[in-house]
Amino acid sequence: MSNEANQKIRPRAAEDAGAERKGYIVNDPFRGNEFIANKSLTQEDVAKLEAAIPQGERLLFVIIGDLNIHSKYAKSMLAVTDKLIYGFDQAFPEGVKTHSYDKVKRAYAKRYYANAMLILSMDDSKSEYVDRSKEYTNFIRFSNKVASLYDAAARFIQNVAAGNDIEDELRIVAVAFEKQFCVCPKCGRTLIRPGAQCMNCQSKNKVVAKLAKYILPYKYELLFCMLLAIITTGVALVPPYMTRMLVDDVLPNGRKDKLLMCVLMLLVTYVVQYGVGAIRSYRLKVAGDKIVADLRNDVYEKAQHLPMRFYDRTSTGSVINRISGDSNTIQAFMLRVTQEVVVQFFQLVGIIVIMFTMNWQLTLLSLIPVPFVVMGSRTFGKKIHPYYRRIWRRWTAVTSILTDTIPGIRVIKAFANEKRSVDNFVKYNGEWLKTDIKASKITTLFPNIVGFVVTCGSLLIWGVGGSLVIDDPGFVSAGLLVSFISYTSMFYGPVNFFANFNDSYQGALNAAERILDIIDAEPEVDFAKGKHPDRLKGRIEFKNVNFSFDRSKKTLSNVNLVIEPGDIVGIVGTTGAGKSTLINLLMRYYDHYDGEILMDGINIKDIDMEFYRSEIGYVQQEPMMFHETIYKNIAYGVENVQVEQVIHAAEVANAHEFIARLPDGYDTLLGERGIGLSGGERQRLSIARAVLKNPSILFLDEATASVDSETESLIQDAIDNLIHGRTTLMIAHRLSTLRKANKIIVVDKGEIIEMGSPEELIALQGKYYKLVQIQTMSDQTRKMKEEERFD
Amino acid sequence: MARLYIENDMARFTRKDITFVDMELYDGRKFENLEPHRLFPMSGLEKYITLLDEKGVEQAIIRDMRTLPPKDREIIEGCLEEYYMIPKITRIIDCREKYGVLRFEVETDRGHVFIEIRNIVHGLKLLYGIRVLIRDINDNRYEIPDLRQLDKHSRQLIDSFL
Repeated sequence: MSNEANQKIRPRAAEDAGAERKGYIVNDPFRGNEFIANKSLTQEDVAKLEAAIPQGERLLFVIIGDLNIHSKYAKSMLAVTDKLIYGFDQAFPEGVKTHSYDKVKRAYAKRYYANAMLILSMDDSKSEYVDRSKEYTNFIRFSNKVASLYDAAARFIQNVAAGNDIEDELRIVAVAFEKQFCVCPKCGRTLIRPGAQCMNCQSKNKVVAKLAKYILPYKYELLFCMLLAIITTGVALVPPYMTRMLVDDVLPNGRKDKLLMCVLMLLVTYVVQYGVGAIRSYRLKVAGDKIVADLRNDVYEKAQHLPMRFYDRTSTGSVINRISGDSNTIQAFMLRVTQEVVVQFFQLVGIIVIMFTMNWQLTLLSLIPVPFVVMGSRTFGKKIHPYYRRIWRRWTAVTSILTDTIPGIRVIKAFANEKRSVDNFVKYNGEWLKTDIKASKITTLFPNIVGFVVTCGSLLIWGVGGSLVIDDPGFVSAGLLVSFISYTSMFYGPVNFFANFNDSYQGALNAAERILDIIDAEPEVDFAKGKHPDRLKGRIEFKNVNFSFDRSKKTLSNVNLVIEPGDIVGIVGTTGAGKSTLINLLMRYYDHYDGEILMDGINIKDIDMEFYRSEIGYVQQEPMMFHETIYKNIAYGVENVQVEQVIHAAEVANAHEFIARLPDGYDTLLGERGIGLSGGERQRLSIARAVLKNPSILFLDEATASVDSETESLIQDAIDNLIHGRTTLMIAHRLSTLRKANKIIVVDKGEIIEMGSPEELIALQGKYYKLVQIQTMSDQTRKMKEEERFD
Repeated sequence: MARLYIENDMARFTRKDITFVDMELYDGRKFENLEPHRLFPMSGLEKYITLLDEKGVEQAIIRDMRTLPPKDREIIEGCLEEYYMIPKITRIIDCREKYGVLRFEVETDRGHVFIEIRNIVHGLKLLYGIRVLIRDINDNRYEIPDLRQLDKHSRQLIDSFL
């Protein structure tokens, strides 16, 4: 390797790495050839490659891993050249292991628990199971962090060993590397495009600055309130001054005229103080409520656009908690920042100025407790922060139980499990209580300690000031001392406020973090806003699609299929085989798959999402109804719909008849999640929904799974009406549902094992054939039993 | 077919590969290439070990590993040790939270590592008040078997997230 290359090994960002290969790290050429890697190589790594790879071999890609063969943390490296496969691991006897392509018939990443192994095997059977009697090598171990790269590497090795073109295969590997780079290396969030800067990590703005957006629309209102607040604060400074006059001048000299004036003046100050105060509180409350409403709207809107992946990982309870509780905390905090801080600050300054002009010696004396209060506040803040987080966690656990069990109340009752359910709630609520009590100890103790210190300060003034009054009434008068004491107590109001400010600041910071977690979260990616064809024809193509919900288990592997417009396709397979996942990917609920899904030849990620989904009708296994009238439930998602269209849709879906029989007809208000209707009725409403939507493409996910035979035939008729002329994908357990299908896809363990027309698959005598046989048998038995019963 | 439960010395195991064993029962039945998996990887480390064949079909269940003869127990434990990677955290060196991502620098029984957790509620689970299960952004797993065993500094670092 040249010295030049040796010196400048550095990662290159996506944009400047050239148009073709972007989104992963391109290291400096190794012996004149560019190669890709998931990390930039150190000089030591390059030296290892240099030593192991003979001249004349071309290095293609490198994966830097983090485990050694004994699953201990250590750097490992897989280097693939056009001739050999190299594994570097300190735990290997010679530090490196090689393997040639011609000794590989099958390469795969065998998943263990939170780690995996690249296995190169001589098993050449086409069976989905690996034959372990054939020679194989446990090549290199790695953690989930690089698992998707190893999947790509395994595919590469196997395909190149089978004689595929290296360049073609390398391009597929490059895509996998690119995808890895689409995840922010710092925070793990998926980026908008490969190599893009992570919004999350890039933003250096403080939380407060982000929240300022919500305050700005109400800035005049808030300024007005602040002005009022300054007036009330100023006025509040008057009464102690009047006290001094009363004690020193009016009372000792018996001046009744002045007394009346003083009392009247005090009355005026109180009127202003409380009158203006009332107006201010009202205006402030209104502005605050508007802010919180805006914030809540935003969080809710954002929550609608978050990808399914977010909801897979976050409990709905915690999302609800954020929308309802946290936004209130933040609102209270924002008002404190914009109002109280300023007001209290003015009050503080005002009092100090007045006190200093009255008597600077006594003022200094009264300032003695301040450092203690401030120091205490800082320690307090540090102590309390974890508690707030803990309290929130416990509270989320409580709300999670609520959102879990209250909707599932029927199940609880059915299993007579009320007591256990209550016990569970009591347990979690108890946890919350315990943490809250612990925190309360600190939160209540602290203000009282502060109060005590402050009061001790006033004792000091009584003592010193009192003796001054006795010794030298000309220097310090009794009136001055009395008004001084009132100012001192007023002075500690703001001090106390700032001391406790930390407390509310911490609480709000926690709440803001959680709110921003939603507001800042990457929404469902929609690159192609506004770009779409007029109408989808419905040609669906899966190209090398691999998918896993998390990295521990693959849900779909290497799915390739083509569905022509107008095809009626039945998807069969055992539960958990990946049938619904196919639909989930087509619905774009999950975007983080490898490979491509094309609709009419366009990658579905390049079609406007709103348009795309509006072109698809999706009838789910358990249709979701909302707490609305039947009419609105059918017209859900379709705007400007005519009444008769809705009735027609209901008719097509065989739903009109039963709706007409309901006393409230189309105005029947459904309970939450459609309570009040039978499963079959709900199903037919959801078919009516699909009819009304008039989609080009239809997905039916076990639409007749949970209904009796008679309802099934009603639904079946409705489906037959619906699928006419549309590309349709039907998932079904009962093969009778698929009688109209012209194509069958058999899915097993995430792979497509058979595909073709029903006749072809029967002739093939494979899995589909077996399924048909089993079902015909069970149908016959059922018929026989039914006949027996009728006899 | 009734489920086959293995107890005491009714089976003899031979290690086949890092995660595979062959099993021979006292009645002469033989099974090849079985992979032991825990049915309760979180809550029961030694009980209910299922033995899956290459097709992922369960052939038997070891009711309690502790009842097996020492040699067989060692073999099964060896396989599980290779299969399950749940490093035990012995010390927390540093812990930082930024924009909702919690980054721990820790010492484990398998070496030094950085752990990143995106969602605290999902990624950190406290069991029985002392055991902590951690799942990072890549779905790697970690464990603190007993919080009380950690040094004071480590405990302080993690305490506020529990």
